[in-house]
Amino acid sequence: MRRLQHTVMAGLVGIVIAGCASTISVSSHVDRSLNFERYRTFDWGPADALPTGDPRLDRDPFFKDHVQGAVERGLGARGLELTSSGAPDLLIHYHANISQRIDVNRADRAYGYCGAGDCPPDIVRYEAGTLVLDFIDARTNTLVWRGWAQHSVEDMLRNRDRMAKTIDQAVTEMLRQLPPMR
Amino acid sequence: MSARLKIGALIIAAASIWLGAGCATIKVSSYVGADLRPYRTYDWGPPDTWSTGDPRLDHNRFFDERVRAQIEAQLARRGFEKNVSGQPDLLVHYHASVSQEIDIRQLDRSLSHCAERDCGPFTYDKGTLFIDLVDPHTDTLIWRGWAEGSVDGAIDNQAWMESRIDAAVAKILARLPGRL
Repeated sequence: MRRLQHTVMAGLVGIVIAGCASTISVSSHVDRSLNFERYRTFDWGPADALPTGDPRLDRDPFFKDHVQGAVERGLGARGLELTSSGAPDLLIHYHANISQRIDVNRADRAYGYCGAGDCPPDIVRYEAGTLVLDFIDARTNTLVWRGWAQHSVEDMLRNRDRMAKTIDQAVTEMLRQLPPMR
Repeated sequence: MSARLKIGALIIAAASIWLGAGCATIKVSSYVGADLRPYRTYDWGPPDTWSTGDPRLDHNRFFDERVRAQIEAQLARRGFEKNVSGQPDLLVHYHASVSQEIDIRQLDRSLSHCAERDCGPFTYDKGTLFIDLVDPHTDTLIWRGWAEGSVDGAIDNQAWMESRIDAAVAKILARLPGRL
């Protein structure tokens, strides 16, 4: 009985830890005073002037196509139309950033699920990617919504399929944070 | 170890992580360059063009407007007047930055506030906010105040971020010498 509980708990902790590594964290900021149902059309705006991008992603046409495609599909599903008429309601741009971060593996050690010899390294360095999506009201030229997704990017820089999947998931989850539109 | 004990240990571990991360204390300091009494009016100086170090905050209107509104409110409370005529006594600047920090819990360890295996290091995002008051006639720094503290989780939650901004700005500007 005790052994079963031990196994179940170890499994749960394992899931939680593995889950942390693979889930995309998304969040957003919004202009709460605005009714987003007024927006009907969008277009891609000029890229952000701030050099926060990472050349590994910025100059990658595969990355760009997938981000833009995922956003266009997601907004299309919400009834927004991509326009190239030159007078969209919303201008959208994104930027991607990669930074080195450190993660500390505390759980296994703290809960005694690994012995002194087989515990994973205490401190792990990883590359955290952030994809920021900005919605700008074209009439007032102000930011009305910003969403972002954060995820470790090591595997996806080496694997195109994984990159495509991660982008789709990141954009889908990010757009879910939008206020009601149309 | 019995299951009950283990759950107890889990709760204690969770609580200590929460306490460590929850160190929502804001540390403030200031530097006084000159007597502030002759200065009465202010305007905003040119916005800063450096990156904050966090892509979520760069060019973020929601962050920027909250910081400015709170600085204006606190300066007004202290008798400073906003002057946009082009001849202010002071120019105000702010700069925010975020960096990842590692806490090795030396203090906890030395005071035995944690058991050996719970004493591992942890990481958090540290935010720093600087507020500068500059004399535009001499281009010198008259006063600088800054706050630093953990912003873990705060940027991802707009309402929480706003309350952290309000608290930090109020605490920084509370160090302004009284001028009334």
